[in-house]
Amino acid sequence: MEEVIIDAQGKTPREVNQILKISCKDNDKFVVKNPNAMHYIAAGLTEPVDVVIDGSAGYFAGTMIHGARIHINGNAGWFPGDNMTEGEVIVDGSAGDGVGQGIYGGTVVIKKDAGSRTGEIMKNGTIIIGGNSGFMTGLFMMGGRIIILGDISDDAGESIIRGVIYIKGAIKSLGKNAKVEEVNDADKKELEELLPQYGFNLEHGEYADFKKIVPLSKRPFYGKESEEG
Amino acid sequence: MCGIAGVVFKDSKIHPVGNFMTKMLEALQHRGPDSAGFAIYGGLGLLENEYLLNIEIKETPGLLEQVKNTVNSTTPIKKEEIIPSVEDYIIYRCKIALNSFNELKPLIMDIDDINNVIVLNGSHSFEMIKDVGLVKDIAERYNTQDKKGTHAIGHTRFSTESLVDRYHAHPFQSYIIPDITVVHNGQITNYWKIRDPLERKGHIFETTNDTECIVHYIADKLNEGYKLEEALEQSVKDMDGPFSYIVGTPNGVGIAKDQLGLRPGVMAENDEVFAIASEEIALREVMDTHDIDQISPGEARAYTI
Repeated sequence: MEEVIIDAQGKTPREVNQILKISCKDNDKFVVKNPNAMHYIAAGLTEPVDVVIDGSAGYFAGTMIHGARIHINGNAGWFPGDNMTEGEVIVDGSAGDGVGQGIYGGTVVIKKDAGSRTGEIMKNGTIIIGGNSGFMTGLFMMGGRIIILGDISDDAGESIIRGVIYIKGAIKSLGKNAKVEEVNDADKKELEELLPQYGFNLEHGEYADFKKIVPLSKRPFYGKESEEG
Repeated sequence: MCGIAGVVFKDSKIHPVGNFMTKMLEALQHRGPDSAGFAIYGGLGLLENEYLLNIEIKETPGLLEQVKNTVNSTTPIKKEEIIPSVEDYIIYRCKIALNSFNELKPLIMDIDDINNVIVLNGSHSFEMIKDVGLVKDIAERYNTQDKKGTHAIGHTRFSTESLVDRYHAHPFQSYIIPDITVVHNGQITNYWKIRDPLERKGHIFETTNDTECIVHYIADKLNEGYKLEEALEQSVKDMDGPFSYIVGTPNGVGIAKDQLGLRPGVMAENDEVFAIASEEIALREVMDTHDIDQISPGEARAYTI
């Protein structure tokens, strides 16, 4: 099918998104030109279409998508991929706070650094950060996996309940209910299969550099050890 | 939710910084529709003892003359200008000379004693422009695109804690030392804990707006000998609440962000320009933003020329 070009110059986010939603019934490839760090681009897309945002996006890029594949050529603001259930949000540059906040599924990839609270309250899915990830990464994480190829800042895995955070670089400090474990062979195999799909080509031996942050307890606040499981 | 922005030209030369700041604030208009403001540094060209007063006056017969008489009783008005504003108010601007900076705040308080008159600011090295309404209307009213200078800070306001009027529009200024301004996004939740020791030192608060508290705090620290970045770093330790704010001084700008990082802040620079803002969309008005930095929770950054 033909690629549809949407020029965002002079349009509101609502207008851009209306064009996307109407056109995706008959087309499956879109390029949003001149996004100029606009907020909410491709919010709520539920068709499995490809959208290239040709520049930087603002807040909530690809929020609540179900199946769309969104590629941002520039940077993203806060909350890229927020609450998505299926699909991909790939950011070539850096991103602000709350990358992949609350996702239920799908994959969010940031090629450079991410701000604070990456993957907060995520339930499932995958988040990959090519650079460093900021304060309270994995805050109240309830499932899924976060992979950080750079360093992770203070209070990593704060109040993590389920899920896992893989880190290749340094861990500045751990949050409450977080502990560090060595990666095992199954973890390394999982990462070695996943990362090259998104252009992260590590040497085989580098996978041994990863550590993982997991919960100390599944019932960290009120429960008893006997209630775990 | 407010929008904040700052820009510095690193060569210390005069640039169309008013035009750049206008574009940055227009890009941040969605973050606050109530009022907007600019502090544009380095372009006034005043003599060492000269100051510019910015006075809001209700359009009432005889009131402007009363203001002029009050100013003239302290020092002769050297130059004046009237800018029409909205809601039956005018902005009266006059250039004056004083023997020292210490005479500025008492003169402002004398003028403020007149009913329906308030001094928006008095400055030596920067031009304050702030008013209610949208950036494009304010820019047109005050010709902000034509203003020149070395650096500037600016604000679009979404009011949460205090009145929407010209005085409560940002930037706020302190008179503890000359020409310190602040624009702010957020709330200082231990406001009274910060304000009390400053008042005990004799500093005068005109409002209960937390942004005024920040500007006095920073001016007090600079007065004590802190460098700008040190003052910003100390503020992050002392102040509670969600905030990011930008300070303007005669020599540069700086940003500080609360320890939980609950308000946004991004930065970019190249060989010519250092710029900070709430969102990338504002940075894009002054430079290529291929690489931008997120200001981290609890982080402070400054650039001085």
